[in-house]
Amino acid sequence: MKKRFCIAAGTALTMSCALVANADSNDPIKIPINEWTGQHISAHITGTLFQKAGYEVEYVTAGAVPQFIALANGELHVQPEVWTNNVGEIYPKAVESGDILVLGQLGLQPQEGWIYPPYMEEMCPGLPAYEALYDCAQSFAAADTFPKGRLITYPADWGTRSRDVVAQIDIPFEPVAGGSEGAMIAELKSAVATGDPMIMMFWQPHWLFAEQEFNWVSWDPADGECVEEEGQSRGNACGFQQASIDKIANISFKENYPAAFALYEQIVIDNDMQNALMLEIDQKGRDLEEVIAEWIDANEATWGPWVEAGMAAK
Amino acid sequence: MSGIAARRVHWAWFALIGLTLAVLAARDSLGALMVFPETWVLPMTAWFNAGMDVVVAQTGPFFRGISRALAVPMGWIRDLLQWMPWTLTLSLLTLASYAVSGWKLAFFTALAVFYMVVIGYWAESMNSLALVVMSVPMAVLLGFLVGTAAYYSARADRVIAPTMDVLQTIPVFAYLLPILLLFGFGPVVGLIASILYAVPPMVRNTTLGLRRVNPEVIEAGMMAGATPLQMFWRVRVPSALRQILLGINQTMMAAFSMIIIASIIGGTADIGWEVLSTMRKAEFGESILAGIVIALMAMVMDRMTARAANASRADDAPDDPWSRYRYWVIAVVMTVTILVASRLLPFLHTYPETWEVYPAQMLNDWLTYVLVEFSDTIKSIKTVALFYIMLPVKMGLEQTVSPFSWGFALTPTLKTGYAVLALAGAVWFGLRGRVGAAVLVAGLAILLYFGLTRLPWPSIMGVVMLLAWQVGGSRLALGTGAGMAFLLLAGVWPEAMLSVYLCGIAVVLSFTLGTMLGILASENDTVSAILRPINDTLQTMPPFVLLIPFVMIFKLGDFTALLAIISYAIVPSIRYAEHGLRNIAPEVIEAAEASGATRLQMLWRVRLPLAAPQLMLGLNQTIMYGIAMLVIAALVGTNGLGQRVYIGLSNGDFGTGMIAGIGMAIIAMIADRITQAYSRKVQPAAR
Repeated sequence: MKKRFCIAAGTALTMSCALVANADSNDPIKIPINEWTGQHISAHITGTLFQKAGYEVEYVTAGAVPQFIALANGELHVQPEVWTNNVGEIYPKAVESGDILVLGQLGLQPQEGWIYPPYMEEMCPGLPAYEALYDCAQSFAAADTFPKGRLITYPADWGTRSRDVVAQIDIPFEPVAGGSEGAMIAELKSAVATGDPMIMMFWQPHWLFAEQEFNWVSWDPADGECVEEEGQSRGNACGFQQASIDKIANISFKENYPAAFALYEQIVIDNDMQNALMLEIDQKGRDLEEVIAEWIDANEATWGPWVEAGMAAK
Repeated sequence: MSGIAARRVHWAWFALIGLTLAVLAARDSLGALMVFPETWVLPMTAWFNAGMDVVVAQTGPFFRGISRALAVPMGWIRDLLQWMPWTLTLSLLTLASYAVSGWKLAFFTALAVFYMVVIGYWAESMNSLALVVMSVPMAVLLGFLVGTAAYYSARADRVIAPTMDVLQTIPVFAYLLPILLLFGFGPVVGLIASILYAVPPMVRNTTLGLRRVNPEVIEAGMMAGATPLQMFWRVRVPSALRQILLGINQTMMAAFSMIIIASIIGGTADIGWEVLSTMRKAEFGESILAGIVIALMAMVMDRMTARAANASRADDAPDDPWSRYRYWVIAVVMTVTILVASRLLPFLHTYPETWEVYPAQMLNDWLTYVLVEFSDTIKSIKTVALFYIMLPVKMGLEQTVSPFSWGFALTPTLKTGYAVLALAGAVWFGLRGRVGAAVLVAGLAILLYFGLTRLPWPSIMGVVMLLAWQVGGSRLALGTGAGMAFLLLAGVWPEAMLSVYLCGIAVVLSFTLGTMLGILASENDTVSAILRPINDTLQTMPPFVLLIPFVMIFKLGDFTALLAIISYAIVPSIRYAEHGLRNIAPEVIEAAEASGATRLQMLWRVRLPLAAPQLMLGLNQTIMYGIAMLVIAALVGTNGLGQRVYIGLSNGDFGTGMIAGIGMAIIAMIADRITQAYSRKVQPAAR
């Protein structure tokens, strides 16, 4: 925005414009808030640390797809938690065109794949190997998918990865889109409570794993990187490409907020930390702000050096 | 229709059934007739995407400019509403309700606004209100201009009328992506989506109102020597005012229904976002509490504008200045007093958090209780519906009947028995001269045996086109055929059939149940009084909110989607049935009573036939509502066109989403045209 404004202002003002562009901007740093708790934690920790470094921060609610358009054109500044395998075409295009800068991984070790409650191994011996699913699809069947097994996938707007894999390796399962995170969790919990069959595409870190035990379906070892869209077949199925969780920023963020950028580069959030905070918020029903503030108070040893690194770049 | 033509139609139906059976008998070798070959599908998705890229590249800066310009007033309104003490907003809205309608509405308004405060959603509610306050005047203005253009120029009307059809029937999710690409991000983009969706009713009502102006009034204006401009503002517009006000009312309702979708785009931090977030976590109580806010706002605004539309014209207002301006004076005095008072007593400005009441946990516990207590009943309801209704329609008895589901296998003996029974039924009707019923029996028997998704595509096209030809002539049949050809060539036929299956069952059930409730309500004032607030709530509550309890009770899948669609689409069936049955001329009823008709005879022979046009209109609206719910039902895991719309949105793939959206619009328009044509056909017979 600022740059465009400078161009419009003409040559007489070029000098002052250049100065403004190099100094720290006074506008608040805008961070998108998506719909899941893990991201809320990453966003709020990042934001709180920016505040410690003397910036104003504004949290903006944003859908998972629209946010990339805003990040690309500078209406949002940083997004600390991007799951690279759940994004559509818009994100890679924006990275390729240079509007979005990827700063590397946040530190979370994600795992994605099909999970099932342990009692399913009695109904379907041969699990966790995916090969077992060919023969005991009926043990996973429900009234609406019979005779095929019922596989709960991610909601349709998170992509079609499970559906792609099912189609390629040709297992007799009917993918049923999960609709929403909450609906998926409700399904899992009620299935475990009643001992109903269940297999579902899921991810971690997630507080669910702190509460209940689930096993992961195992796949053939991938030859190099696992490709989901094509080339898999029975006997050669690598399952899912494992995500990386990236910190990204708008391309002009470094220029306009140098100290915040240096600080942002340092931030690391790992599974244990996020899981612990998620449990507090989602299970114990506490306020997000309160939990984050508590963490900030208790962990100055962790984030102190990050903020220092930021201040050094000022 | 003359006897010869009728006979010709009958033969066409028999030929179609015969051909379908022949294809099905040889289905293994006639793959191309069963499943539309992929090689025949045109790469339309790529064309759409290429077109969109060009449009974005050429016009992007222009649209970004618009969105930046709109952001300024939007910011002002948001800031103003956030700055105003809640007591002031409450008082002004209550005063306005009193001024248009009276004590009853004023009381309701005060309670509704107070609810938003008590529940702790004040800031979010005001952000939502800002969106509506911004979008409605703009949609009204735009709609008025376009509607006037359509009135004056027949050529403009030929473009405008179908555009409005498309805007209203394409699900908003399908054009969310192009709007994002063109306008950027933020609350303004949600505003633009709302305007696009809210404009069509205004356009329609403006054109209709101007057309309906009594020619005598216009002649009188001419005689008085009015200039064209005077003619328009002094004669035509005032005469069309009632219809135009109805348009404003409907535009407002449309804008309210966009609140949640606007927040999907982001940057709103409003009540829609609350609903979305709580829904994402399946927090039933929380989402219901937030959803009620939207429902209440919509109800208040609906009552106020509907009242204004029905009120007597403004020109009989009294002349003395006090009665004329008293409400304005009161409003000013009120504003000043409250602003001063809220300085002294801060709780009048910001409602203290400790006074809030938030019974979400109670609602959640209540739902859990129902879940645990009735889990067996719930399961059996679901299984019965799936095995005996939904799956036969979707995949046919052939696939459904098995020891697992029905308790026995479909043996050749049973198959023969089924065929004999169906044939006997058809012949019986045929011999009694009821050829239509015979065709219906044969058609249903085939549908239930093979299933909608497993019938050859030329048969389905044939059935729909023949039906269109029978009720609306060759033009309707051709249009219908073209629409279905698009579905085939775009490669979304299987998804379209899944959507038709789900929506079809929902519409049949909604219409049957809704009409029954409507009949009861028309005979019994208590039932009517109980149903009215339920209908209001179902219609104004964001449909998203309805999904959560259904998912928790019935799990993901088609059955839950079916219930969600029914709960939304049943409302017009109830309303139109009651309205139609209540408005029959009393003389007719008296005459029937005098001739000694029993209650049942009265219903079947007199009242229902007389209310047929209204019932058909109800059916038409039920279908439209059902199709509108398809996209939202996709959130609980259905596989039709609705889901493709989401997939397109998440991949940033404009073509996929748009084609699915157009597909749904095509289904909606075909259903609309056929039911309307049929309604026109039965109308003269009934009157």
